[in-house]
Amino acid sequence: MNRAGKAGAAVLAVAALVAVLAPLLVPADALDVTRVTDAPWRPPGAGHWLGTDHAGRSVALLVLQGTGTSLFVGLTAAVLSVGIGTLVGVLSGHFGGLAAGALLRVTDFFLVLPSLVLAIALSTVLPRGLGTIVLAIGLTSWPSTARMVRAQTLTIEARPFVERARALGGGHTHVIGRHVLPSVVPLVLVNATLAVASSIVAESTLAFLGLGDPTRISWGALLHQAQLHGAVPQRAWWFLLPPGVAIVVVVLAFTLVGRALEAVVTPRR
Amino acid sequence: MRVKLCVLLAVATTLGLAAPAATAQAPVILKVAIVQQIDSLNPFLAVFQSSTEINKLMYDYLTAYSADDQAVVEGLARRWEASPDKLTWTFTVPDGKKWSDGEPITAHDVAFTYNLMLTDEAARTANGSFVANFESVTAPDDRTVVIRTKAPQVTMLALDVPIVPRHVWEQVGSVKDYANDRMPVVGSGPFVLTEHVPGQFIKLRANEGYWRGAPKYDELHFVYFQNSDAAVQALAKGEIDLVNRMAPAQFDSLEGKAGVTRNQAQGRRFTELLINPGARTRTGEPIGDGHPALRDVRVRRAIAQAIDLDALVDRVNHGYAEKGAGLVPPVFAKWHWRPEPGQERPFDPDAANAALDAAGHPRGADGTRFSLRLTGRAGRAYDEQAAEHLKRSMSDIGIALDVRLVSDNQLNEATTAATYDLAFSGWATSVDPDFILGLHTCAQRPGADGKGGTTDAYFCDETYDRLYAQQLSEFDEGRRRDLVRQMQARFYDQVPAVVLAYDNALEAYRSDHFARFTTQPAHGGVIMAQNGVWGYYQAEPAEVTAARPRGWGGFAAAGAAMAAVLVAIVAYALRRRATAGERE
Repeated sequence: MNRAGKAGAAVLAVAALVAVLAPLLVPADALDVTRVTDAPWRPPGAGHWLGTDHAGRSVALLVLQGTGTSLFVGLTAAVLSVGIGTLVGVLSGHFGGLAAGALLRVTDFFLVLPSLVLAIALSTVLPRGLGTIVLAIGLTSWPSTARMVRAQTLTIEARPFVERARALGGGHTHVIGRHVLPSVVPLVLVNATLAVASSIVAESTLAFLGLGDPTRISWGALLHQAQLHGAVPQRAWWFLLPPGVAIVVVVLAFTLVGRALEAVVTPRR
Repeated sequence: MRVKLCVLLAVATTLGLAAPAATAQAPVILKVAIVQQIDSLNPFLAVFQSSTEINKLMYDYLTAYSADDQAVVEGLARRWEASPDKLTWTFTVPDGKKWSDGEPITAHDVAFTYNLMLTDEAARTANGSFVANFESVTAPDDRTVVIRTKAPQVTMLALDVPIVPRHVWEQVGSVKDYANDRMPVVGSGPFVLTEHVPGQFIKLRANEGYWRGAPKYDELHFVYFQNSDAAVQALAKGEIDLVNRMAPAQFDSLEGKAGVTRNQAQGRRFTELLINPGARTRTGEPIGDGHPALRDVRVRRAIAQAIDLDALVDRVNHGYAEKGAGLVPPVFAKWHWRPEPGQERPFDPDAANAALDAAGHPRGADGTRFSLRLTGRAGRAYDEQAAEHLKRSMSDIGIALDVRLVSDNQLNEATTAATYDLAFSGWATSVDPDFILGLHTCAQRPGADGKGGTTDAYFCDETYDRLYAQQLSEFDEGRRRDLVRQMQARFYDQVPAVVLAYDNALEAYRSDHFARFTTQPAHGGVIMAQNGVWGYYQAEPAEVTAARPRGWGGFAAAGAAMAAVLVAIVAYALRRRATAGERE
């Protein structure tokens, strides 16, 4: 694993630690708009080293609190998306024929739809909440995984050892479970890591547009609030920059780790 | 030599492009930011504040309210008198007023409008309360309108009903389906609607033949913005000239900005929290899916008691509001009501908890009694922030809140179909309290098909309706004031909605482009959302500004200089290459 990958992994470890420890780091009442007493729009300084927001809450604590939501949504959405993608990819690659045709047409349908628009539509129609966001992202981002996994499945199934397994009487479950899946898993893992990065960006986009769970703090939701409550006319860069930087750093970390893993699993020719 | 010629050419071209902009007589346009969508441009259907504001620019009412003190002044009618029994009112529409297409405005247009509302239920959607008590409306000649009422009605000089041209609306088949978008739309107001691109802009041009005199500028544009933040930015940059309904943070940010003047006015709007009291249609059919617990007035009172109104004004309105009480804002001091010390419902979560226990809603194992939906508008700063406050306040009394922030139209749908438990709402009030009081009578609930009503609170109370009927026929102002205050006390006591705050109207305009706006009332009044359109109509453009063309001139000069440098560099590079080629 290369140096960049290690750096990414380190950043992710820190982010995960922050997400887990956030409930301990952030005092219970510090982010409750009805309980805070500080003045709104205080620039960074003593006491609040990242300033305060429109309601007088500490931006630093808000960003810490948002880590958990952003990572959770990113991870679950990626798992959902890669899960669907793998299932569809393996099944269509393995069975072929009519079933594959049908599955592929569905994949194509989702592939050509602009996924952001579809996600916006879904999160508008479904009730607001984390689950909806996860679903909206997961349901719109799986087609590329499906295509990739299908291609891998086809190359695996063309190899002699799979043919031999079939000849010896191995059924569908045996071939998929013992031969195909183990060979696509590395690819799927790499894909999942990269999918987390794009899922976090997607979550931030939806939350920024005001489609997220309005009562939960995530980085995108912070940007939404900053924009809504006038951080721009207030020139309150300290409310806009930290959540934005947090998104960039974590997304970059996931991408670095993903690329590093890709280099590991892809055999050099 | 050739190089020099190129440079000269470049300079000439750039200046030539800039020159006409500086000299041509461009129309003077007042550009106003608009954030709320338009529900309809049909004056019989339009309910949204944005739509009624534009309808007011297009159509005059029978009477108007003066800019100084909101006294009743001439509208389409110049004179009026009531019979001794106050049942027959005679209005005189003077000769000489014209529709924007040149047709004369006559008493027949007025009679046509009111009769349309009397005969067609759809035409009563927006302003039905004004004609509910009408017996008949006739026009014996071109100049005279005679209105007979079933009972004496005090609001006869405050009929906020846009009068439409008969010769246009006679051909309209179904009022309910008519969009009123045949441009230019024939009207009687100071401006004529010429173009409407939904979600982008609404253009009106000055009505040169307006009977009060043409406005002092040429065009009035309403430009849509996705959010008020963008609108405020556009104002700061000088792209638009007038913004209202700013958030406190935005208002503060414009402090001391050159060329911008701010206007903090006592508004005539209030923000309320609707509590679905078990919505029913006019015929008594249950409608919507409000939580059954809210039908109990004790529960509604407990919810109201658990809301810290002072904290909301202080933290959410940032002090740019006054604490809510009755339905009429304090700007109309005559009708405004505040609870007496005995009637007051002070903020007291403990008492609210006790009341909910007594009402038979014990806390469950997780400390929750029941859960309610709170519907608000996504993208409205107040709703998003106040929702967080309410969520906390309600959890203090064991009610879990499911906050749902939705689009404008979805919110409207939820309130008209009564598919809410708690919802944010708000109304603009008129000089005469009749409209806002009438909104909460049983008759304002929707018909059997779920359409036709204006209320969103679904209040229906015998005492309230009786008081409403009494005040409507009470011509003694002192006694009427007393009745109006009793009604507000009844509303406060029954809590179909909690009036949260009377918002200050926060407005700002480009004083370098428009020098003066008329406010209503004259002191501490508003420019937009008036009882009338004086703000738009009497806006005075600043002296033809040298500032803007000079700005362009600066750009042109800079552009010319840059072009010159670029040409010089390219020419130099070409020469270098040429000589290099020769050298080889």
